[in-house]
Amino acid sequence: MILDFFSLAFTNLKRSRKRSWLTMLGIVIGIASVVALISLSAGMQNVINDQLSKIGSDRISITSGAGSYSSPVTGEMFSAKLYQHDVDIVKQVRGVEYAIGVTIKTSTVKYRDETKAMMVFGLPFDAKTVENLKTISFFEILKGNYPSASDKYSIMAGYQLSQDLFDKPIAVGSKMEISGVEFSTVGINKKVGNPIYDRKIVIPLDAAKELFGVGDERSSIFAKTRSGFNTTEVAEDISDRLRRDRGLKKGEEDFTVQTAQNMIRSFTAILGVVQVFLIGIAAISLLVGGIGIMNTMYTSVLEQTKNIGIMKAVGARDADIMMIFLFEAGMLGIAGGAIGTAIGLIIGLMVQYAAANAGFEVLKASMTPDLILGAILFSFIVGAVSGMMPAIRAAKMSPVKALRYE
Amino acid sequence: MLSDFFTLALETIVRRGLRSWLTMLGIFIGIASVVALISIGQGLQESIASQFESLGTDLIMIMPGGGGALSISSVGIGSSYLTNHDLDLTKRASGVDIAGGMVYKMAKFEYGNEVKYFFVIGFPTDESKEIISNAQSFKLAEGRDLKEGDRYVITIGYLIAHGKAFKENVKIGDKLKVDGEEFRVIGSHEQIGNPEDDKQTYVTLDMARRIFNEPEKLNTILAKPKAGQDPAVVAENIKKELRRDRGLSKGEEDFSVQTMQQLLESVNVILGVVQIVVLGIAAISLLVGGIGIMNTMYTSVLEQTKNIGIMKAVGAQEHDIMMIFLFEAGILGLVGGVIGVLFGIGIGSLVEAISAAAGMSVLKTYMSWELVVGSLLFSFIVGCASGLAPARDAARLNPVDALRA
Repeated sequence: MILDFFSLAFTNLKRSRKRSWLTMLGIVIGIASVVALISLSAGMQNVINDQLSKIGSDRISITSGAGSYSSPVTGEMFSAKLYQHDVDIVKQVRGVEYAIGVTIKTSTVKYRDETKAMMVFGLPFDAKTVENLKTISFFEILKGNYPSASDKYSIMAGYQLSQDLFDKPIAVGSKMEISGVEFSTVGINKKVGNPIYDRKIVIPLDAAKELFGVGDERSSIFAKTRSGFNTTEVAEDISDRLRRDRGLKKGEEDFTVQTAQNMIRSFTAILGVVQVFLIGIAAISLLVGGIGIMNTMYTSVLEQTKNIGIMKAVGARDADIMMIFLFEAGMLGIAGGAIGTAIGLIIGLMVQYAAANAGFEVLKASMTPDLILGAILFSFIVGAVSGMMPAIRAAKMSPVKALRYE
Repeated sequence: MLSDFFTLALETIVRRGLRSWLTMLGIFIGIASVVALISIGQGLQESIASQFESLGTDLIMIMPGGGGALSISSVGIGSSYLTNHDLDLTKRASGVDIAGGMVYKMAKFEYGNEVKYFFVIGFPTDESKEIISNAQSFKLAEGRDLKEGDRYVITIGYLIAHGKAFKENVKIGDKLKVDGEEFRVIGSHEQIGNPEDDKQTYVTLDMARRIFNEPEKLNTILAKPKAGQDPAVVAENIKKELRRDRGLSKGEEDFSVQTMQQLLESVNVILGVVQIVVLGIAAISLLVGGIGIMNTMYTSVLEQTKNIGIMKAVGAQEHDIMMIFLFEAGILGLVGGVIGVLFGIGIGSLVEAISAAAGMSVLKTYMSWELVVGSLLFSFIVGCASGLAPARDAARLNPVDALRA
């Protein structure tokens, strides 16, 4: 029986070929844009999550300033600061394997005859810290070495910085001027894929102290949890200790302790909102496509009035008639959906390719079976729902009147 | 003749009732979303432009950091910063009338037993006060403004005074602790419309320097060119002075000097890009609507085959037949467009009302008559373009075959 419905619906669609194709085109375009957008935004979320977890779920960062928006970058905007003293406190918290205090300042960097203003990171480079740095992905060395405790005026450069930030590439041994003082490049980091880290320039803490006069001030503290300890708990302990040291009550902190978890969470939240907005707009075209199906189905019902009359006359029930037309609408939906999904994924891949060429490795297209099945199922539902009202009209037709239709 | 085409087309559309409505619905949804998005986008641009206007577009802003006021790397960080010395240089630069500097940082506020963090802006109280207060959209609502020689007094933003920052309203005469030091509230400001701005507080420059312990630094310097001078030229002069003083060559600046005009342009560029992306996506629905019209027209031609045969038989030209169907398609587009424009304007107004209630009165929608006329014209064109192919098919029908249908 079902098979008959199928073949009847299919025959109908074939009969008015051009119309069927045009109707499907509407769904194809709608689904393609929705699929492309979902694929790209899901892909981007995956990449970011990946990178944040490369930082390690055992990483904790402490920055000055209250509120979830504080980051190493905005630390200067707060009158409260972090100091080496705080780094020492954090080191002593139970469960902390190590803590590194970092200063970040913007400065002019000159290479050959090009000058740019950029963020300069000041890091301690004693032996113990270097051991720990080797475990942080964006501090892993690709070429050369870490600055040693003895060369004050040495630089560790991020991958992109060395390759295409300046006109000429930078190699180990290249000399650069920071704030007017000459430095020598001793190491180049591995590429991470995130422009902020790939474009960084790192100098020893002592040099930073000398150049920028920061003294004991630190912009942020990076800490790692000892294995076996729960990162969130350790973060709480750090908060407690620092609060006690500063004589603050809970909720009054002028610093922020963040784990990779809450960074992921806040980023995901923001991305989620943008996603919903863009996809919502793309979904409007899907709505219009559905209306197109409804329109086509009304026409189809009209054209087949006589046939409907005949079918009913020889014993077809109302439900059977309805099924035939629902199938017809559903097939339009699924066919459009399948083609649309394929096109949408291709568009996603093309955008990924174009973005990668422009240096935005963050934009990737994700193709999960969930997305594909979901899109096809959804298009079938769109089709069926759009076809519901015309199908009901067909089912309710009086056979006598239908037979008389010219 | 033309009116006949019109009447014939209209009759067909009316006869097909529901299906005509559904076809127009497609166009209507597409146009409504495009119109709503454009009006919101234009409104945003307008309100930002007018905020800049009140600043005085001849104002010049000097900030530390080499990337310009909008680049991420320059916000608030720096081994490069501006000082009183820079302010003096600016005042002396050729073409500068008045110049003044501001200090701002986030500080810890204690009110009663609550602790929160807000921006404190240190304001000069000399002749430069006026240009800086314009720049901050400064309008006093209650109490009095800061004066030269004021110590330990503070004026607060709208939201702080109206209970949206601390649990209670902060009133004139109340005491606030800023970074541990006690200040008395002497005035509060009118609402600016931007929640961030409305939570700012203001003290005299000298007081700000005292509590932050930064006697020399300045976060921003504002300069007003002399009447008749081109702001861009004056900005260049200031740049030259500062460059020479710091021993930097051109292109190496660790500060940025921009006129309000230039700032406005960069903001508009960003807004423009965002708008285009969003509009592009909304326009896809318009495309699908157009396909719907094409589909409907093919059906219409099919259903009227016999009529076309008769018309040709009694002397209608191919050209005439095509006009009839083009009109049909165009009318479908136009009516869908009219309803769509009305709906789009409605959505825009709704968005404006909702965001005003949420405190963001910066989001206004702007309905230019160009937008309305443009959209109507566009929907008509979409209709005609979609109907072109079917109309041509109709025109080329062989009358003999058509009559036999």
